[in-house]
Amino acid sequence: MNYAVLVVPDFALHALRRSDPSLCGRAVALVAGEGRKARVTQASPEAHSVAPGLAATLAMSRCPGIILRPRDPAAEVEAHRLLIAAAFTLCPRVESTAPGCCTVDLRGADVPRTEALMRLRVAEFAGAGLPLRVGAGATPLLASYAARCAEPVLVVSDTPGFLAPLPLAFAEPARGQEEILQGWGIVTLGGLTALPKAEVGRRLGTDGALLWERAAGEATRVLRHVEPARSFAAEWTYEPPVESTEPLFFKLRRYAERIALELRGAGFVAEKLSLTLLLEDETDHRREFRLPEPGADVDGWLRVLNSHLEGVRTDARVAGVRLVAAPARPPEKQEGLFDTGLRDPSSFWENIARIAAIVGDDRVGTPACADTHRPDAFIMGRPAEAVAPALQAPVHPEYGPTLRRFRPPWPVRVACDGSSPARLEGGRLEGEVRAALGPWVSSGGWWRPEAWAAETWQVELAAGGLYQLARTADGWCVEGMLD
Amino acid sequence: MPVPSQTVSDLRSLLAARFPERTRKSHGGVPASVRPVDEALGGGLPAGRLTEIVSSVPSGGGQTVVASLLAATQAARQRIALVDGSDAFAPDAVPADMLRHLVWVRCRTPEQAFAVADILVRDGNYAVVVLDLRGCAERALRRTPASLWYRLQRAAEGGSVAVLVQTQSPLVPAVPARLVLDRALSLAEAAAERDDVAGRIGVRMERSPAQGIEERLAG
Repeated sequence: MNYAVLVVPDFALHALRRSDPSLCGRAVALVAGEGRKARVTQASPEAHSVAPGLAATLAMSRCPGIILRPRDPAAEVEAHRLLIAAAFTLCPRVESTAPGCCTVDLRGADVPRTEALMRLRVAEFAGAGLPLRVGAGATPLLASYAARCAEPVLVVSDTPGFLAPLPLAFAEPARGQEEILQGWGIVTLGGLTALPKAEVGRRLGTDGALLWERAAGEATRVLRHVEPARSFAAEWTYEPPVESTEPLFFKLRRYAERIALELRGAGFVAEKLSLTLLLEDETDHRREFRLPEPGADVDGWLRVLNSHLEGVRTDARVAGVRLVAAPARPPEKQEGLFDTGLRDPSSFWENIARIAAIVGDDRVGTPACADTHRPDAFIMGRPAEAVAPALQAPVHPEYGPTLRRFRPPWPVRVACDGSSPARLEGGRLEGEVRAALGPWVSSGGWWRPEAWAAETWQVELAAGGLYQLARTADGWCVEGMLD
Repeated sequence: MPVPSQTVSDLRSLLAARFPERTRKSHGGVPASVRPVDEALGGGLPAGRLTEIVSSVPSGGGQTVVASLLAATQAARQRIALVDGSDAFAPDAVPADMLRHLVWVRCRTPEQAFAVADILVRDGNYAVVVLDLRGCAERALRRTPASLWYRLQRAAEGGSVAVLVQTQSPLVPAVPARLVLDRALSLAEAAAERDDVAGRIGVRMERSPAQGIEERLAG
């Protein structure tokens, strides 16, 4: 197995169906030409009695309800990029042979692993709406023969045995050669290669010798390698612009599948996704999603993106979308032997990402107090994979009820009796103060422009309720409730 | 005619499908380390169920219950999530060591809080999910369809997570257990150790787990 060929039969038709959800499961045919000259070029299996070459009008009469469409170059380009991305996951030496066809140089590759990867890609493509066929053999030509016969993967190990029953048309003989060979009673590749190559060359000339080589699968060539993807992005447009999220979800999946394959082929995963909705009024809505657990799992990405899109409201219709994945090396980690880890790490990180898509990246995580005495100073960090035991008992126990903050603090006017608060007025909280504790004075950052100082009090209102007040340079405020 | 043993078996299956509360094995509970709450609930927050704590008075001790839960889950090395409907949790009000197993979600609206709670309850990695709706607009909460609560209850029933819903007034329909914190703490308790404060929280059981099940069976 030196070479593999990946091919999608009826590529233009399947690329179109993959890009348009309304064509799924329907009788569809591609047509070329206009008016009475329009002819069917490719037809889906659902289009009974319709074959390539049939006039479009005849196709409509034979198969009522058939959908006739011209080719969609953008859909074909995208589907071909997906095919190339799949080829790069097998080996980095890839040739873009033709639309819907790639040849991969597998020399030196691990055969069982590569064959398993081929079957995996075939299954993924089937899910993506593309019937991929993969053939592998000693030469690019032999691999292409195998791909044409594959159901869906065929690795040729016995070359003469594989070639013998194949029709002569596989070797693409010229019309004259075909007639001569049929006159000799030769209709298969095996029949031709049973003759000595030199004798065939002597009777049919150089072209005959080349035909014999093609029939034997010996013809080889140098592959023209393509460069792997350097950016992992997709951009597409909607004509007409869309108002609902369903078309977005459908195409997001299609393009995300290709980007994820490109990442995998390059040995990367995505650590960040950037989604831009290009709006009809020439503005855009942009949002970045940092994936807590970098990965190339399309379903995980889509759960994050869909969670966000379900809550998005835009002023104008969506005319286009741009999706960019920031690549990163796959994370490597080893847990401590006695750590209490996550029961389901993938679901944990995926759900964190989904929540971040709903509330924002900076509003979900594990809090940690910042290195300052400034009130309400904390940082949000990445949740720990394992719950470690408590370090040690605190030197000083916590006292009193727990503070519940009002963000932002409620401004209030405080009437004082001496230095102690006696009454709260003019804010969301009013009433006589029954008892007060304080003040606790704190300050910091005096060497910076954002120096701060506060005087904190705890008060109990006559009507009930414990509150924490603070007096700063801006005046009094209620920081929160002691609850 | 079916044999009697088959009839009994069918009946058991029917009852198990109709009244899963009666037949499902309990996953145990998560002690809140607040004596009045644990006593009222018979040991702690029941796993796989919703528990509603209503703070009917200001400074009733609801946040101290959350702080005690943080300490209890840290001691048991369990993970806890706090869905903060009004972004009121103060990290500086609890020891730093009690935060390392917490996933805190700072929501802006009740809708966000419900969406996040629905995800977390189904996650499977948390022992406790606290949905704190105190401070959210009362009108918005009243508009919440009952189906959303039932959906949350069904999600909790499938797993081993204890779900604590903190509200200012009774909100959760057909909740298995509802506690009301109806005694405001005083400033004299500000000088007491927090564990003592937790022990002084006034708790009234408005709806017991058994009562909740009976109502569901009747429904």
